[in-house]
Amino acid sequence: MVRYFIKRLGMMLIALFLIILVTFVIMHSIPGGPFTSDRNVSKEVEEALNEKYHLNDPLPKQFFDYVGNLLHGDFGPSYRFTGKTVNDFIANGFPVSAKLGGVTILFVILASIPMGILAAIKNGKWQDMLVMAVATIGVTIPSFVIASILIYIFSFRMGALPSFGLDSWKGYVLPVITLGGYSISYLARQMRSSLLEVMGQDYIRTARAKGLSEPKIIIRHALRNAMIPVITVLGPTVANLLTGSFVVEKIFAVPGLGVHFVNSVTMRDYTTIMGVTIFYATFLLAMVFIVDVFYCLIDPRIKYD
Amino acid sequence: MKKKTVSLFLVLSLALTALTGCGQKKDDQPQTVPATVPATQAQGETEAAGGESQPAGDVAQEMVFVLNNEPDTIDPTITNNSFATPFLINCFEGLVTYDENGEVVPGNAESWDINDDLTVFTFHLREGLKWSDGSPLTANDYVYAALRVLTPATGAQYVNMISDYVVNGQEYYEGTASAEDVGIKAVDDNTLEFTLKAPCPYFVDLVSMWVYFPVQEATVEANGDKWTTTAESYIGNGPFKVTQITPGESYVLEKNENYWDAANVQLEKLTYRYILDVSTALTAYENGEVDGVRTIPSSDLARLKAENAGVVVAPSYGTVYYDINCSKEPYNDPLVRKALNLAIDREALINNVAQVEGEPAYSFYAPGYVVDGKDLTEGRPNFDLSPTADVEAAKAALAEAGYPEGEGFPTIQLSFYADDNVKKIAEAIKEMWEQNLGITVEVSSAEWAVFYDAVQNGNYEVAAMGWSADYVNPMSFLPLLYTDDVTNNSFYSNPDYDAIVDQVKVETDPSKFGELVKQADELVSADYPMLNLYYKSNTYLIKDYIEGVYMTSSSNIYFKNAKVLAK
Repeated sequence: MVRYFIKRLGMMLIALFLIILVTFVIMHSIPGGPFTSDRNVSKEVEEALNEKYHLNDPLPKQFFDYVGNLLHGDFGPSYRFTGKTVNDFIANGFPVSAKLGGVTILFVILASIPMGILAAIKNGKWQDMLVMAVATIGVTIPSFVIASILIYIFSFRMGALPSFGLDSWKGYVLPVITLGGYSISYLARQMRSSLLEVMGQDYIRTARAKGLSEPKIIIRHALRNAMIPVITVLGPTVANLLTGSFVVEKIFAVPGLGVHFVNSVTMRDYTTIMGVTIFYATFLLAMVFIVDVFYCLIDPRIKYD
Repeated sequence: MKKKTVSLFLVLSLALTALTGCGQKKDDQPQTVPATVPATQAQGETEAAGGESQPAGDVAQEMVFVLNNEPDTIDPTITNNSFATPFLINCFEGLVTYDENGEVVPGNAESWDINDDLTVFTFHLREGLKWSDGSPLTANDYVYAALRVLTPATGAQYVNMISDYVVNGQEYYEGTASAEDVGIKAVDDNTLEFTLKAPCPYFVDLVSMWVYFPVQEATVEANGDKWTTTAESYIGNGPFKVTQITPGESYVLEKNENYWDAANVQLEKLTYRYILDVSTALTAYENGEVDGVRTIPSSDLARLKAENAGVVVAPSYGTVYYDINCSKEPYNDPLVRKALNLAIDREALINNVAQVEGEPAYSFYAPGYVVDGKDLTEGRPNFDLSPTADVEAAKAALAEAGYPEGEGFPTIQLSFYADDNVKKIAEAIKEMWEQNLGITVEVSSAEWAVFYDAVQNGNYEVAAMGWSADYVNPMSFLPLLYTDDVTNNSFYSNPDYDAIVDQVKVETDPSKFGELVKQADELVSADYPMLNLYYKSNTYLIKDYIEGVYMTSSSNIYFKNAKVLAK
């Protein structure tokens, strides 16, 4: 099993390298560059800027220089925000996004799993209908619509919660609900369907025949197996939530990392595109890896050989 | 706390528009709507420290102002980005500045002398000027800053604003002249002398630009590019100084006691808060969480004005237009361009489509420059255009060009950049042309970087564009149509026009200067080199208990005279 995980780790590094390479190539092949959008920049100023940031070097050299710096943990300077580095963006933005994301993850887990279980146990009854209705709304309505409704009701009409910022705990309420809405719905549905499936299996019948109480059956026997698909989804969800959402951070004016994912591309801020992509990819790969480890802990039948 | 009843639908559609726009409003200038949104907010009831200069006594002289876009840098020598102006204008001051009437007034310089042929400008600095850290500010600091702009390695973007005018500026930039040769000299600590390549009647207007602001050598040399990123190292000479930076979230500015005119600065604390989403900013403003908003979502403008919610309309020296590629068939025919111009209902575009504050434009040159008490555009002809479309005349012009009823006219490729307002206008123009001229129009959009790349390279037919003047002088507009100028994206060329512009550049007599500008404008506008739509205005929101905030026609917002009154 240890050999398997070492192999997995190796694969991850290769995947990461390919991600870096592909991002680099795609990024340089889209039209426009970091300095083309400044209308007043004359050719010679653009030349000077290209010189300053070594953008005149041949692309392979730029790539290997970049990877070389990366090995030292240096994501490079931002091309668009003079005096700032990509490390600054991540160091400033990630803690904010992660804090908001962390609270959201907690909220998602605490809300979605009980919801899913409830819906599965009360399959076909009104509780099930209610949970599924809420979950359908959460999956289908985009987060910015949810955000607008929440702001309208709780900030604009009631004046109970701030419409922007994370200045106090109150500021977290609306972004957390908005950010978690989709995941809660998705996970609740996942939980429900996998629990329903497990409940129909033979070993559950055996447990019932043995005379175990229904709560015991669900908690001790069914949940363990039913959690596997849920955890599979949870891994990437955690990575997504912790690294920030462009939409939520923009609407609620949260100074996190999410905004860089989109803005860096429209601004062609090459180093920032690379930096946030690599950061996110690493995070995602790590989460998937952790999920794999979790499988072993949850289900002894899973063995990696 | 007042709450306005706004239909939920409105809020929703607002959010939708805000999102599809996704804030890609690129750098300031070439866009139709100003994208920055400052808003201000009285911060609690806490008494400001050191409030003896406050007349209002019990009212805390504090406010929060929301900005919607992050500037690339707040280094005045580097940036050309208008999102930086709330910082540059309020944390720095140049030799001259603007008052609330939009007139040039002495800033760091108390007076200046100009030689007879307008090539040597000598500025006399005030006695005892200081940086915000208390160290003395001298003429040498101005020289240092200007040379920093002229150094390619710094990546300064507004180089041509100095190198085009100052003797040996260009040569220094290219490395063929030494610092001593450059025509910017500190004669003594309080005397700064500029020697220009050619007479420049508007040089005093020019030095009001931030690219001529001083920066402190000590902090720049010690911190490099990062000098703007911490409150301690961001040393300025303006009415305010930065005391706290929370990246991406807020900047706290406090009154700079070392400012020469600090006695007249009443605001103690000014917090800039970033809210990138304009509808969130508006909600925050209407909730009373902030005191003002710099950018107003266009769909709310009419309502806010009707409610007297604090909309400020400031005339702006800028034009929204479409470039027509004059180097391409059939657009090289002035009659075709005339027909395209005649077929547009500008009034409908302004009031119904874009829903902005603006005046119909028939020329690229916007009103805003006054000579002898008269705006240069006063009495200007309309070049046969009117606020609404003139379908008959448009058809006639097109027929005269050889396309009766639009027959045989190729499909027009109308390009615009990804932005909601720009899209609405582009679609309306398409409809107007198709209906009024019987031609077909294909619209296509791309994000700004791709779009602008194509426009600069002439790979377009008709393209959305706009212009806001860098400094208040006609010369910030005229190069737009000058043959082969870097900003001439219409690829228009007219030797007669070029000749007049060359004269304008060196004309020393103000009234002759004005005459020449008029002549150039009328000559070129009768040729319809562009599709001009409207002259811009800036709008922002500010609560009625704050007074003294003003914005100049170059979109610079000043808080120097701001005062918080009792609510």
